[in-house]
Amino acid sequence: MNRFALLSLYRSLTRHKLYAALNIGGLAVGIAVFLVLGLYVRFETSYETWLPHYDEVYLVQTDSRVPDQPFSGRHHWTMGGLLEQLREDFPGIVGTRIEPMGASIIQDGVAVNEDLKRADDTFFDVFDLPMAAGEGRRALADPGNVLISQSVAERFFGSSDTAIGQTMTATIDHETRSVRVAGVFVDLPPNSELEFTMLTRLPDDADSPWWSNWGSTSLQTFLRFSNREDARQFEAATNAFVNRRATDNYEAPASDQIGINLLPIADWHLTPEGREPDSRRQSVATLGIVGLLTLLIAIVNYVNLATSRAALRAREVAMRKVLGADRAALIRQFLTEAIATVAIAGLLALIIVELTLPFINAAGGLELSIAYLGGDGVVVPLILLSLVIGLIAGAYPAFLLSRYPAASVLASAKAPGGGRAGTRTRQALVAVQFALAIAFMIGTAVLFAQTQHLRDSDLGFDREGLLLVRSMYLLDDEAQRRAVQSRLEALPSVRFASMSDGVVGGGTSTNVDSFAEGGSPPISMRRIAIGPAFFETYGTRLLAGRYLDAQHGMDDATSLEWEEPQNVVINTLLMRSLGYSDPAEAIGKQIGRGAPPRTIVGVVNDMRFLSPREPVDPTYYTYYEEPKYGVMTLRFTGDPRVTTERAREAWTSVAGEIPFEAETGTESLQEFYEDDERATRLFAIGAGLAVLIGMVGLWGLASFNTARRVKEIGIRKSLGASATDIVKLLVGQFMRPVLIANIIAWPLAYWAMRTWLAGFDDRIELSPVHFIGASLIAIAIAVLTVLGQSLRASRTAPSWALRHD
Amino acid sequence: MIKLENIERRYISDEVETTALLDVNLAVASGEFLAIMGPSGCGKSTLLNTLGTIDRPTSGQYWFGDTDLAAMGEKDLAKFRAAELGFVFQSFNLIDELTIQENVALGLAYRKDVAGNKAERVAAAMDTVGIAHRARHFPHQLSGGQQQRAAIARAIVGQPKLILADEPTGNLDTANGEQVMNILTALNDDGATIVMVTHSPSHADMAKRRIDMLDGRIVASAMRAI
Ligand SMILES: Nc1ncnc2c1ncn2[C@@H]1O[C@H](COP(=O)(O)OP(=O)(O)OP(=O)(O)O)[C@@H](O)[C@H]1O
Ligand SMILES: [Mg+2]
Repeated sequence: MNRFALLSLYRSLTRHKLYAALNIGGLAVGIAVFLVLGLYVRFETSYETWLPHYDEVYLVQTDSRVPDQPFSGRHHWTMGGLLEQLREDFPGIVGTRIEPMGASIIQDGVAVNEDLKRADDTFFDVFDLPMAAGEGRRALADPGNVLISQSVAERFFGSSDTAIGQTMTATIDHETRSVRVAGVFVDLPPNSELEFTMLTRLPDDADSPWWSNWGSTSLQTFLRFSNREDARQFEAATNAFVNRRATDNYEAPASDQIGINLLPIADWHLTPEGREPDSRRQSVATLGIVGLLTLLIAIVNYVNLATSRAALRAREVAMRKVLGADRAALIRQFLTEAIATVAIAGLLALIIVELTLPFINAAGGLELSIAYLGGDGVVVPLILLSLVIGLIAGAYPAFLLSRYPAASVLASAKAPGGGRAGTRTRQALVAVQFALAIAFMIGTAVLFAQTQHLRDSDLGFDREGLLLVRSMYLLDDEAQRRAVQSRLEALPSVRFASMSDGVVGGGTSTNVDSFAEGGSPPISMRRIAIGPAFFETYGTRLLAGRYLDAQHGMDDATSLEWEEPQNVVINTLLMRSLGYSDPAEAIGKQIGRGAPPRTIVGVVNDMRFLSPREPVDPTYYTYYEEPKYGVMTLRFTGDPRVTTERAREAWTSVAGEIPFEAETGTESLQEFYEDDERATRLFAIGAGLAVLIGMVGLWGLASFNTARRVKEIGIRKSLGASATDIVKLLVGQFMRPVLIANIIAWPLAYWAMRTWLAGFDDRIELSPVHFIGASLIAIAIAVLTVLGQSLRASRTAPSWALRHD
Repeated sequence: MIKLENIERRYISDEVETTALLDVNLAVASGEFLAIMGPSGCGKSTLLNTLGTIDRPTSGQYWFGDTDLAAMGEKDLAKFRAAELGFVFQSFNLIDELTIQENVALGLAYRKDVAGNKAERVAAAMDTVGIAHRARHFPHQLSGGQQQRAAIARAIVGQPKLILADEPTGNLDTANGEQVMNILTALNDDGATIVMVTHSPSHADMAKRRIDMLDGRIVASAMRAI
């Protein structure tokens, strides 16, 4: 770039300051949105790729092949003894199991929870987990050893090196003992599903009744194959393996009902489990598309504005030619100008990203960070992007204008705007841009309406005022558990309290009974074990019959065998799948369908304890006068923090050495909502900025058009056009593309939003309000954007306008 | 038909004051063909623009028939221009994106009072100036003379009482200039009132009356001997 080219660029940027600011700013915002969403997509798709040789490691999935059951589909968990059976049948196979356990570390009399997992001593054959100090592989041979993460080491011992050889007092699996720190591993990065801060040896648990029960899912099994072909061969042999091994729990051939599959661990994070919809991958793809489209809008915008501006410089080009500039020199000048301008926008985009990333991380619950150089660096792609956009934006003036015969440009009274074809192209681009903006607005409206709906929708119980004391399972001592229970029940703000193994947000166990009779397809139902006052605690509506209690014989299942007659309460979904349309009709009937004698004594409404994306299961409740397992739910009044604190005090006074874990009902539901809410927020940010860029583009284009039409306005006025006629003319020229944009946007948004809503069992209906509202807003934005300039233009004195050139 | 009394027009920009018109008194009768002459910058265009109401005088009276145009609002002035005036400019001022036919039709576009077949009137106007065969062309596809004839067609399509022409032959060669002058003369013969600015003495001689301007004032007025 020579001195004159730079000078010319500087002049053209400073002469039209507002125009330059909007044009470059719009592009910068577009690139910034693209970068941020790109970082997000990269983060979400980079899970486990930090692990050396991650591509050789596979997670074993249990595939429940019986359709239409709560458990149907592939799960990331396996039975405990799978690896042992695999080792017998596939000699030399490399694998390890990982079992999440959790531990409380007692230091200075206070219990702290840590994410402890237990693994086989072959763990390091599968995972090349980077160590910070000590030796991992040998450490796991001894069950008395633990490996801890760097941050745990720093928290407890000050540093990784001083931690080695130290002991900690830990309660693991109900057993308090002293463990020795034998190694410190580098903290797992945020893009990992492994999620542990401590690792210890998995004991041989072969005597547990579930250990070799096919279909059970108690831990995760990982295998490592040094090449893809081995993995493929292994997978091909799994059905025969299952048919050989799973004979106790399944009718032959077992592989029709159950199987195992390999999932590369890089796919682990985004792969849904069981009947979960593929929502995470969908959000990542959606946000990636939003980023790309926003960039596209910004580029279209920029190119549009740059080329239309360049048309105004046709006269300059012609004059330069008259003065002897050759075509190559002109092309060089325009291309350099364009690339340099885009590079400025790119730089600005980086600044915007750096400044806004903390807020975006906060809004999205993310830990994104930007890398400049290296494999993940943005500098190189950004330079390439600048080159590409610059070339596109510069190509029109460079090649077209430089080809214009100088004489005809100089002879023409008016700056060439590319004629009708140019106007058409520009209008088409405006239409595309606005179509995307309107589709984004509709999307945002629907997303927000749906997330709002999920926050307010009737779950079948009152979600406010529930406190879940989840640490009940840690109380082994019967007397202690009773003492805690009665203390919690006696809290002044607590109105009801109940133990159950199923609670809002998921309980301690998931039991699904599947009954089949004769040739009819099996009918599955969730079984929830409840204690006294369960329905009162949740505020369930009794539709017919009565609740369960100790006064009625056969209600309390505590001392009843599985085959013995029992009374149960069912929900309406089960009532319907049993073929009753009226609750009263079901009372006194048996569940039947091959189930042991279960008499329905009450029907209650359906309660959604789990994800709004999954259907509520047909459910029956069995009653235990004194439940030993499960979570304690408290129904309280007043400030949740007060009740939580009182509950903690009550707990500590009885069981101070055991950590207290509790969350409110809304907190426990949060996990089901947060992915969607985060995606909604990111989508809204991206969409808002896309609309903003679209506005900037329209404004720029309108100002260009108005500038180009000043003389025409004068002519029209001399012919008797009033100011109103002029405003109509100038605003009207943008109405057509904006109206066409609606025609493109509506079907697009309708299809996209229907697909997204289909992922929810609990969802809103698509309403015309979202569509019409977004379109009206878009039209209003378009009118307001161009109205100001049109009004000003309409007021110019025609005699001045006619002198204008 | 037209009476200007004590018209004054001053431009004030950046504290520099220019007086473009000073103490101008002028009457134009119906059916007249008036030529305005004078050196560059003497205020000819300003006077014409004032007559055409696209420039407002700083002070003075402007009567068009019985109407006091000085007292009229912008909206009514626009209506007045659409109905009563036709403009012809030195640089033609056709709209590039519109065909010749559409440009001519623009002369009727702002006439809310014209009913009936507009296309016929547009065709008739193009016929009058002899550019009907170029109806579907764009302005840049035409020669200067053709463009100016199209501009005249646009000016007359609404059958205005007054045609204002600012150096209509200024950008044309002799032959094309003659052609335009002949059209204007014919229009005047058919009853149109014409006020024309020109630098060409011979074209000025084709008008019925001529005024000379100097430094914003009318300095002489002469009738052509018939
Ligand atoms: N918008 C304006 N602002 C300031 N001064 C102006 C403006 N328009 C015209 N003038 C000045 O008013 C005076 C008369 O201008 P006008 O255009 O009427 O001249 P003219 O006689 O038509 O000249 P020419 O023969 O060159 O067209 C000139 O001195 C001109 O500089
Ligand atoms: Mg002039």
